[in-house]
Amino acid sequence: MTFAKAYEDPPRVWGVGRVVVGDGIVPWPVSEADIDDETEVAATFLRELGLGADELVLIVSYLSQAIHVAPFERAAGVVGALYSSADASRFDAFRTASLVRQLKPTVVIGVDDAVLDGFDDLDRDPAEVFAPVRTVVASGTAAQARLATAGVTAGVWLRLGALNAVAGPGATELRYDAARWQVDEANGELLVTSLAERLTPSDRFRTGFEGRVPTPGRIAL
Amino acid sequence: MSSDPSRRYFSPEIEQMPRASIDRQRDEKLLGDLIPWAYKRSGLIRETWDAAGVRPADVTSMSDFHEKVPFIDKDAIRSYRDRHDDPYGGLLCLDPADPTMKGIFSAIFSTSGTTGDPTPAPFAGRGPSMLVREFWELGARPGDHFLHCLFTFRGPSIHDTIRGIGATPVFVDHQPGDIEQLLRFSRDFRPTGWYTLSGPLIMMIEETATRLGIDLQDAFSSYRGVVFAGEPIGPRARARVEEWGLELFIQTSLGDVGAATECREHDGCHMWEDTAYIESLDPEGTTAVGDGIRGELVSTTLIDKVAPLLRYRSDDLVRVTREECACGRTHGRVHTLGRKGDEIIVEGTSVLPGDVWGAVESIDETNGLFQMIRPSREVDTLRLRVGYATEGPGGLPALRVRIEDAVEESVGIRPDIDLVEREVLLRQGPPHKIPRVTKA
Repeated sequence: MTFAKAYEDPPRVWGVGRVVVGDGIVPWPVSEADIDDETEVAATFLRELGLGADELVLIVSYLSQAIHVAPFERAAGVVGALYSSADASRFDAFRTASLVRQLKPTVVIGVDDAVLDGFDDLDRDPAEVFAPVRTVVASGTAAQARLATAGVTAGVWLRLGALNAVAGPGATELRYDAARWQVDEANGELLVTSLAERLTPSDRFRTGFEGRVPTPGRIAL
Repeated sequence: MSSDPSRRYFSPEIEQMPRASIDRQRDEKLLGDLIPWAYKRSGLIRETWDAAGVRPADVTSMSDFHEKVPFIDKDAIRSYRDRHDDPYGGLLCLDPADPTMKGIFSAIFSTSGTTGDPTPAPFAGRGPSMLVREFWELGARPGDHFLHCLFTFRGPSIHDTIRGIGATPVFVDHQPGDIEQLLRFSRDFRPTGWYTLSGPLIMMIEETATRLGIDLQDAFSSYRGVVFAGEPIGPRARARVEEWGLELFIQTSLGDVGAATECREHDGCHMWEDTAYIESLDPEGTTAVGDGIRGELVSTTLIDKVAPLLRYRSDDLVRVTREECACGRTHGRVHTLGRKGDEIIVEGTSVLPGDVWGAVESIDETNGLFQMIRPSREVDTLRLRVGYATEGPGGLPALRVRIEDAVEESVGIRPDIDLVEREVLLRQGPPHKIPRVTKA
């Protein structure tokens, strides 16, 4: 991967985020156009998760995930909804619980292991915290499983390289946008390729996730 | 606005605006626009003004404003929130369902929640904030990289602002777990600006660099300025950061209507008076204190029409001066001294966290992590809970005595010290600060 294109024209760079592959971190510049384009995809996800106009989605994430999260933030506006934010950290779990209580979001996306650890610290039951929420989406399958154990049927959000993939609660396969991305597998590992123009292109980028692609646009883990 | 990157100020026509123009603009915005807007739409403002028997038409001058406009404070907002089941505390002036607001009223962020429930903060619009002036003052310029080290719950305003000066944000979490990436991205991308650094982060950077054998002077050599925010910085932490070659620009909250940040003169934090009207009043009364005299900061927004605060008593003890700064900017400056609600009276002596900060921090094992125990304003004994990373020579008993000695030398009162492992205090985050005062 080269960043040369990004450096030739800095104002085009929306920001330098990152993609996480296993324990490794790869800096990942994206453009304003990349964010705008992914916003269309994220709006589809949010509608499928049940977010409607005049409702609110709480996005639980880290700032370092900005290149994946910004499309969801903007997509809330496309849907006609509002969004709020909490950090996906153990420290900030109290905020997720508090904002759910105060703002009554329809959808909460991004609940990870650290937030669930934080609920444990606070002696809060995830089922009680999320009782008012129509759709809860975990960040990662481990958090999804913990939520299930706690009685919360949650969807899952994965960041596969620079690609967002989402499954709603009860779905067995994750969705991704097959018009903009190609996902295939090699030796069981999912690889992503950007089909649309991207500031930092992906060419069979190794994601570190195991899975398969039953049909374009769907991933089974 | 000039696009010349060598210009001294980002917005010279605003930053050097003559005092008479600042005051005239304030009057126009406040008396002609904000007051009638807020009274008509904000349940809390209307309720408070009605109770005081004041109408917008009664306020036609700043002397009317000072004489008649009632105060609001955090308790009033919480009370309205509880009585009306309104998460915005009666401040929201826009209807989220209003179709004309689509794309304008976009999000709800929240305060840090250090001392209680985070307060929802409605957010409208998109794009750079007035912090472009500060980021320019740090020395960041178009084409630079700029380290954005913060949280999600403050929204996209900061990275929009970084792009607003033509720089590129590099995203790093304000978390202990992301220090290695902070150091790596500092070396790889050579950012010139950094928003923000905090006391706990300084501690973690120091430890990570020691563990990994990283030369911080080298890693941070590209930075021209770093904004430090969240809580005051003690002399030890400041000295440590300056050893790394970083120039700190202290930022302080401006009564929940904005932020104020130091300039290169480092003589107070500039409050942008085209965005907020700041009063400094007798902490126990309603009269204005003189320039440079300790008072309570009372804030009024001049630009926020989403959830406007009018005469908000912040509880912050400050010194405000409107003497022109040596940097050439004409807007006033604020020096933050502490919080009124944090003050403890021990045997007739006033003690604020800032008064003992340097003393506790001077003991290396503590990293300056402490809390004042404040069961009531007046107490017989100054009690401090102090976190320690290591016990030091002589173990905990000796550490306790060294802290007691240092505090007694600083404030003339020998404290009772409750030593706890520092994680006990750090867990009370958010990561950029801990509650410095606690009831028990």
